[in-house]
Amino acid sequence: MIRTLGWLSVVALVAGLVMSFGVAPREVTQGTVQRIMYVHVPLVISSYVAFIVLAVASFVYLLRRDPRADRVAHASGEIGVMFIGLGIATGSIWGKPTWGTWWTWDARLTSVAILFVMYVGYLLLRGSIDDPERAARFAAVLGIVAALDIPLVHFSVYWWRTLHQPPSLMKPGGFTGSTAILWPLLVNLVAFVILYAYLTARRARLLRAEAEAVA
Amino acid sequence: MTYARRALAVARKDVAVERRSKETLNALVFFSLLLLFVFQITLGADRDRLAAVLPGVLWLGFVLSALLALGRTFLVEREHDCWEGLLLAPGDKSAIYLGKLASNLVLMTVVEALVLGLFVIFFDIDIRRALPGLFIVVALGTFGLATVGTLFAAMTANVRAREVLFPVLLLPVQVPVLLATVKATEALLLGEPLGAVAHWLKLLAAADVIYLVVSVLTFDVILEG
Amino acid sequence: MPDNWSFVAAAYGVTAIVLITYWWRLVRRERELDALRNRPERRTSRQS
Repeated sequence: MIRTLGWLSVVALVAGLVMSFGVAPREVTQGTVQRIMYVHVPLVISSYVAFIVLAVASFVYLLRRDPRADRVAHASGEIGVMFIGLGIATGSIWGKPTWGTWWTWDARLTSVAILFVMYVGYLLLRGSIDDPERAARFAAVLGIVAALDIPLVHFSVYWWRTLHQPPSLMKPGGFTGSTAILWPLLVNLVAFVILYAYLTARRARLLRAEAEAVA
Repeated sequence: MTYARRALAVARKDVAVERRSKETLNALVFFSLLLLFVFQITLGADRDRLAAVLPGVLWLGFVLSALLALGRTFLVEREHDCWEGLLLAPGDKSAIYLGKLASNLVLMTVVEALVLGLFVIFFDIDIRRALPGLFIVVALGTFGLATVGTLFAAMTANVRAREVLFPVLLLPVQVPVLLATVKATEALLLGEPLGAVAHWLKLLAAADVIYLVVSVLTFDVILEG
Repeated sequence: MPDNWSFVAAAYGVTAIVLITYWWRLVRRERELDALRNRPERRTSRQS
């Protein structure tokens, strides 16, 4: 099952690459650099998926104390942090030629940076507790608090800043880009979500193996 | 003992301990004076820059004091080996949380009043018109900081690198509260009416409710042992 | 606007390197644990 996911993600990612460079049109104002969007946006959105899964798994763990839920939360957290870190890096690399600066405190970048630090904290908390049962419990509480905080972060930062073009996908008005851009974007998005699922499943399996090795 | 009585007992004990030792209070007062001093050195001469930066620095003072105060919430229990006593306490442990929250709120309010008073005096700021609005903003913001702060203090009380981990966990989660309070304070000090910052107040109120509910519901989990 | 291929390469490159490295470390650790699990089993079966 996990292996299927693995191969599926490879196929999907290749398809995504083909679409990003072969099918997607060259953007008028930004030029080639705009193609970075086809990894940047899927990375960020996949990390949101990861954090939501983390929150749900944390909730399930607190209710049932099932170690599988804890492992899913842990794995999801790791991959989520990795993806959002890459999201920040690619966003920054995209920003330099486009806006002339490596960083700007606009709504989207700021929110993403805050989430990154929050979930790095989640991983640090897990790392600081030796007793696995305690670590699972505390991490679950933090995971739930963090997830509840996400909408608060989103709104507060958005009200504070609106330099960045309003996020076309998340705004109530709906997507305003052309369809030629939409399809490569969607294919890449699906590819990265599948990759997230594969890596999380594999990491969770490794966590179980490590737990059994100690026992 | 009923739930409310237990919570009150915890709160009274903590306030009494603090009143007698004044350890935390002294550290916070000294720190606030230091902040004031540094602020004066860097910006005292330039009135315009000072006015522009004031809301941010004011809340910086509040937050840093809060970190100090909240981080020490369970210090007494840990240092004097009373932690087991907490874990073995009968009944709903969230009563302990509310008691700790109450004493933290009292401590933070005292320090904030002091910091605000010092700022007003030393930088000659006229806050009379803004005061009622300011009162609400500070109350909402302090509540938000204290609710999550008390929960996280319990969480980090017995982990490695506690002193570093506590602010690392608390500050990112509190960014919405900080943004809202600083922007609202800024607007109020510029003379805007309370209605102009209604959205910030709503955000703060929503945050406060969410934080309180989650903390009360999950505190038992933290103290399971 | 100049083409800025280097930035595109940098972004895709960093992503690929980080993801592949993470995946590779997962695989390596899995193999380590597999080896650990098999060795003591073989020892006990020889003793019996």
